[in-house]
Amino acid sequence: MTATPAGRGPTMQSYVLVWIGLILIVGVEVFLTYERLSAGTLLASLLVLALIEAALAVMYFMHLKYERPALFWSLIPYLVFALVMMDHFWPDALRLMHQRLSAP
Amino acid sequence: MSSPYGIQSKKLAMWLFIVADASTFGAMLFAYGFLRLANPAWTRPFAFSPTIVNGSVMTVVLLTSSLTMVAAVVAAHAGRTPAAIRWLGATMLLGFVFAALHLREWFAMIGEGWRLFQNPLGGSPLFGATFFGITGLHLLHVVCGIVVIGVIATGFRRGRFDADHVETTSLYWHFVDLVWMFVFPLVYLMNVR
Repeated sequence: MTATPAGRGPTMQSYVLVWIGLILIVGVEVFLTYERLSAGTLLASLLVLALIEAALAVMYFMHLKYERPALFWSLIPYLVFALVMMDHFWPDALRLMHQRLSAP
Repeated sequence: MSSPYGIQSKKLAMWLFIVADASTFGAMLFAYGFLRLANPAWTRPFAFSPTIVNGSVMTVVLLTSSLTMVAAVVAAHAGRTPAAIRWLGATMLLGFVFAALHLREWFAMIGEGWRLFQNPLGGSPLFGATFFGITGLHLLHVVCGIVVIGVIATGFRRGRFDADHVETTSLYWHFVDLVWMFVFPLVYLMNVR
């Protein structure tokens, strides 16, 4: 099977390679979980790997790589902006954590 | 096609829905992160077996369902309707397997005393709220996806829907898969014993 949707986009072989890559990344995630990393390092590693997985899925499985760039620029920056705006409450979580750690 | 994006309106509508839904899941995961960080005594109940093994199998099942979904899209665009229907059926089957594995895990946890606001290990009761809330919303998306794929497959077989309908539905299914790529590491792997 080598046909592509609407005559554009990756071949079925490329899809299988992406699928294998995604499964390998999941394997790396589980492996890292049991490598006794600090919580911060593990979280950062897992987030980077999850972002790589998400990028592969969006670009290849969802064909965003093969659409007009206008679609990418109309969707992704606004989503990223919305997610970045949710970051403003981390200092309060840290404040509560330190408050609870220092409580008698 | 007059769209500046060069795609049909239904596909653009699905992309807009996906961006909105991604913000919803993002907000839930951020809330989970806030609660987790603010509670130094957060419960980490998951053992390698059965939870992480089960979660890994669920992840592989969902990733494989994305592959069968792209195979359905390729077959639909190539005009091979029977093959497209078969791949859509395979995607639905894998969705059922994922949901069944998930529900089995849920029932096992409920059997151990986990509830939305109850922690049998004595830690923060918010663990149950975040775990069942996030995975429950995702499971709801999976179940909706199975129903939608069934409707589209039936319509495609009867000639009521075309290959673009199959492709638009595939966007939703891949998004459900994409969300799980964040739920599994953040909610499962970050909570191993």
